[in-house]
Amino acid sequence: MSITQHQPEAGSAKDTQRNPQPGFRTGRSEFIVVAVLYALAIFLTIGTATMKVQGKSAPGPQFFPILVCIILYLVATLLAIQILRSPKAPDNSVHPGHGQFSADMLHDLGQLGKEEDQKFEDGVSQTPAKTWKTYTDWRTVGIMLAGLVAFVLLLNPVGWIISAAMLFWVVAYALGSHRPIFDVGVGLLFSSITQLAFGAGLGLSLPSGFIGGIL
Amino acid sequence: MEQLELLMGGFASALTPINLLWVLIGAVLGTAVGVLPGLGSAMAVALLLPVTFSLEPTAAFIMFAGIYFGGLFGDSTSGILLNTPGNSSAMASTFEGHRMAKSGQAAKALATCAIGAFIGGLIATTLVVFFAPVLVKMATVFGPAEYFALAVFAFLAISAVVSESVIRGIAALGIGLALALAGIDGPSGTARFTLGMPQLFDGISVIVITVGLLALGEVFQIASRIHRDPAATQIKTKGRARLNLTDFKKALPAWLRGTAFGAPFGLIPAGGAEVPTFLAYGTEKQLAKRRNDPEFGTTGSIRGLAAPEAAANATAGTAMGALLALGLPTSATAAIMLAAFQQYGMQPGPLLFERSGDLVWALLASLFIGLVILVMINMPFASVWAKLLSIPKHYLYAGITVFSMLGVYAVSSAILDLWLLIAIGLLGFLMRRYNIPLAPVLIAVILGPMAETELRRALAVSEGDLGILVGSPITVTLYAVLAAALAISAIQHLRHRASSKA
Repeated sequence: MSITQHQPEAGSAKDTQRNPQPGFRTGRSEFIVVAVLYALAIFLTIGTATMKVQGKSAPGPQFFPILVCIILYLVATLLAIQILRSPKAPDNSVHPGHGQFSADMLHDLGQLGKEEDQKFEDGVSQTPAKTWKTYTDWRTVGIMLAGLVAFVLLLNPVGWIISAAMLFWVVAYALGSHRPIFDVGVGLLFSSITQLAFGAGLGLSLPSGFIGGIL
Repeated sequence: MEQLELLMGGFASALTPINLLWVLIGAVLGTAVGVLPGLGSAMAVALLLPVTFSLEPTAAFIMFAGIYFGGLFGDSTSGILLNTPGNSSAMASTFEGHRMAKSGQAAKALATCAIGAFIGGLIATTLVVFFAPVLVKMATVFGPAEYFALAVFAFLAISAVVSESVIRGIAALGIGLALALAGIDGPSGTARFTLGMPQLFDGISVIVITVGLLALGEVFQIASRIHRDPAATQIKTKGRARLNLTDFKKALPAWLRGTAFGAPFGLIPAGGAEVPTFLAYGTEKQLAKRRNDPEFGTTGSIRGLAAPEAAANATAGTAMGALLALGLPTSATAAIMLAAFQQYGMQPGPLLFERSGDLVWALLASLFIGLVILVMINMPFASVWAKLLSIPKHYLYAGITVFSMLGVYAVSSAILDLWLLIAIGLLGFLMRRYNIPLAPVLIAVILGPMAETELRRALAVSEGDLGILVGSPITVTLYAVLAAALAISAIQHLRHRASSKA
């Protein structure tokens, strides 16, 4: 899946308040989603066209992928049109549904009025004084991603205890822990407990790495 | 009363000391994950599912019963004390619940939730025991065309009817269907979209997809905002959670009304408990207005909290029935449960009751046992659970990250799965960032293969004639109801757009 390719271009969601005249790219960073959908659709198209079909059942194994391709192309195009017509600045407001469920429907069902909407805003009312260039904090996300990649690369060579402790430490550091030395201990404790509980207790096989070789 | 006999058999196999221990462990873990801020019951099930795979099936499902209801018990705690519901199904209980907490009635609010969850779950599970055989009988008349119609109904209900934006809902559906396509095609034996990698012949593991989207995606989302968004403030609770008789009498009708709203929705694939909880909340609001209840909307009304809470658990209870008897997951959490069954080579549906009847009844019995254990560990220790909310966020999410890696690696011991997990985690982050709903992906991943098989089977029988898809009263009814629901939701969106412009 080509999911990682979109990262560098993702910084286009500029803060609208600081830019009174927003450029074309403002609020249109959602084109990344369109790109992912098209990439997925093209991948499926190539895969379907080059498929080595076994057997002679009708409808065959290519039938359903074609349907999925059509859905993906259609929905990607519609989404692109929608973003072009009405760009959306980052949706900071918290509301019922929060993107997952239709706020309109929940308003009707729950007979929600202004009080309930107000309540959602209570939690985020203190708008931070500082503004940032991008909505997403790419530094934190980047550190976390690097930690994950390092973990997967190190897991087999150095074993679960050390690599998991490293991952724990990196994520805690990225998310704002101020006690790096203490965290090394917490991370090691966490990874050792999981190794004991799930490796010895439940019999899951976790790589022991070079430490396993020494013991 | 054949069911009662079977249920007693289920209790007999579930009530061994070791199985009781599994329910207890499941209940404690489920509640803990549910209580943690930002994590709901769906995450509890997704994170803990891989861990249960090392157990034998009966023990695993018994533990799962505890996790399933445990997550629901914990869901509302963070909503009440922090104003951040763990799951969207706990959103409606947050309105009045947080008001009660703010006016110094936090312990009472937590007790109302625990008892509400117990009552809702108990009634719904009882209904499942008596009506599951009826559902099974109904399901035996279902042919390929009917099952395909059911899948289409679930797909569109969850992606178009209840979602914020129809385009984004369908986009999520498409992503889910695409993810489910990888692997060997069952009927023909053709390798599809595997890039020639033998590790992908079995497809992308559902565990990888659920843990990636729900757990890792959430951590990425938190990471992208943690240094920028203001932190929520927690309200402290003291003492035991208990209700006095007057409060109990006040809340009881509301619990029952909530259960009545919740129970039928477990059978409808509309994404879970959001619709019934908001319906229950709206009803209580109207009733409060009629009786001039001064508490509602000010210091927090116990009824306004009790009804949605019972509705949420009642939906979860009957959703279990729809899952076991029809093989139809009606919510994201139920979809993950279905994946658990498939992991053990079992396909929920009419045949499950015949082939693995013992296991099904043991599972249903342990749902009852789980509820009793949960109310016992939630009432006296509510303030102990609330302490979990003060775990620093960076440790909490570091722990979740490590745990997701552990779970996925434990299932297959494959490094490739870990890379896929990171990729799908980023996808989950992207979807959260742009408000694309996650539930349609999970439903599509689980039901996609079934929809494909049944569609091809139906068309093979009819030799390509599309008429077979609308050839029976059941399918026609399903499509008609779906069309009506789509029309209503379209009118709703247009009306709100018009009123927000005016």
